[in-house]
Amino acid sequence: MEEYAISVKNVSKTFKIPLNGHANTLQERFINPFRKKEFREFQALRDLSFDIRKGEFFSVIGSNGTGKSTLLKIVSGIYVPDQGAVKINGKLVPFLELGVGFNPELTAKENVYLNGTILGLTKAELNEYIDEIFHFAELKDFANVPTKNFSSGMAVRLAFSIAIKVKSDILVLDEVLAVGDGEFQKKCYEYFDNMKGKKSILYVSHALNSVNKYSDRVLWLKEDRSYEIGSPKEIVDRYSKTF
Amino acid sequence: MRGNELDLYKQFVKTIFKMRYRGSILGFLWVLLKPFFMFLILFSIFSHFAGAAGNLTPKQYAVYLLSGLIIYTFFNEGITWGMNSIMERAGLMIKINFKREIVVISALTMALINFGINFLIISIIALILGISITTLGVGYIFLICFTMFLAMYGISFFTSIWLVYVRDLTHISELVLQLMFYASAVFFPITAIPQRYQFIVKYNPIAIYIQAVRDALILGEVNHWKFVLLSLIISVILVIVGRLYFNKKIVKIAEHF
Repeated sequence: MEEYAISVKNVSKTFKIPLNGHANTLQERFINPFRKKEFREFQALRDLSFDIRKGEFFSVIGSNGTGKSTLLKIVSGIYVPDQGAVKINGKLVPFLELGVGFNPELTAKENVYLNGTILGLTKAELNEYIDEIFHFAELKDFANVPTKNFSSGMAVRLAFSIAIKVKSDILVLDEVLAVGDGEFQKKCYEYFDNMKGKKSILYVSHALNSVNKYSDRVLWLKEDRSYEIGSPKEIVDRYSKTF
Repeated sequence: MRGNELDLYKQFVKTIFKMRYRGSILGFLWVLLKPFFMFLILFSIFSHFAGAAGNLTPKQYAVYLLSGLIIYTFFNEGITWGMNSIMERAGLMIKINFKREIVVISALTMALINFGINFLIISIIALILGISITTLGVGYIFLICFTMFLAMYGISFFTSIWLVYVRDLTHISELVLQLMFYASAVFFPITAIPQRYQFIVKYNPIAIYIQAVRDALILGEVNHWKFVLLSLIISVILVIVGRLYFNKKIVKIAEHF
């Protein structure tokens, strides 16, 4: 049996979208108490199966609305699949967004502790890492400045510096590189190079260059809910031809 | 198991606390100053109605009034913040998985901290006014508050989930809490209510808690202890059942934000 980090088996997910505005109010139920609520069903994923091996860099591509984000949220345990199952082997940390929980009113240092604990670090670990985090982010002089006064680039640098301190076996990355300037992206890619083979990475991106360069395999989610898995070159080539 | 849940809980409470006073010149001093001046205002207005509360001296009436107010405030904040806790963190919950229960207990803890501060100030006021506070009385008040805390924690397990599905709960709870305020006889004695409506106050748990706290603080007496013990047992059951319900429902909640 092959050692896998993430195993996705026959996963389907359908969302119910209420047709007449917001369903979460009593108004709807008062006005039409006997009418069955009307929903439009939106199937985001249909019978999707794949395994990610330990240490593999696995990318997901596809146009908007093909279920990429839904897949990441299911793998991260935020959504539950309607059918099928996801098995995770190791500690998984999702980065669907950098700096989750950042509060603009708090200082950079306070946000490091807040964001860090949300990502799963303990206070003791953060005490140990705090200098390295600010050093890596090149924000030493800004530790006591509220992050609302940060440029978006500074905030992303800080968030990324915290994120890489989180101990994990599996990373789930959703377009985190889309933000930040060239220099920051270079830093991210250096980090990727270092991580390659050590951590399993599930990566969603529209940046086909980076997908091609770093991935071991690529999953292409198509609009008709079918999918293909293959080598980056082959899949990215064929995907590029669709537009 | 993440092993940092206690740290996360502390971070959440700290953040809520910090956010409240951020940017003000006096900062944390407001934690003490605000309730103190609130009480001063209320005291100067309502001390003129002391006669209405039966056989209390004006000084006792001041403590009578304020202790009722802080118990109701504790109830109001606990119910409101507990109910809003999940919705308020929706943005976070659709991005990362952590133990969701922590946001509920953090909100309740905030209400408890507020109560603790208010109680401290009231105790100081009571001492200044020459009321002798007994250890037994204070101990009993702590037991009552612990019971209320558990009850509200249990209730929040349900309401925090329901609010996601039925947003109208915000408005409904405001009305219910307003109703509870008048049904708890905070500002007026029960004897001021027409006989045939007095049962509302008599059977209202909050009104009973308030009465018990007043007796414990002013007279050092332990009254209504049977009710308090019974409600403690019910609260524990509520927490256990609520937690089961919460854990069952929470896995699907992210889709409904």
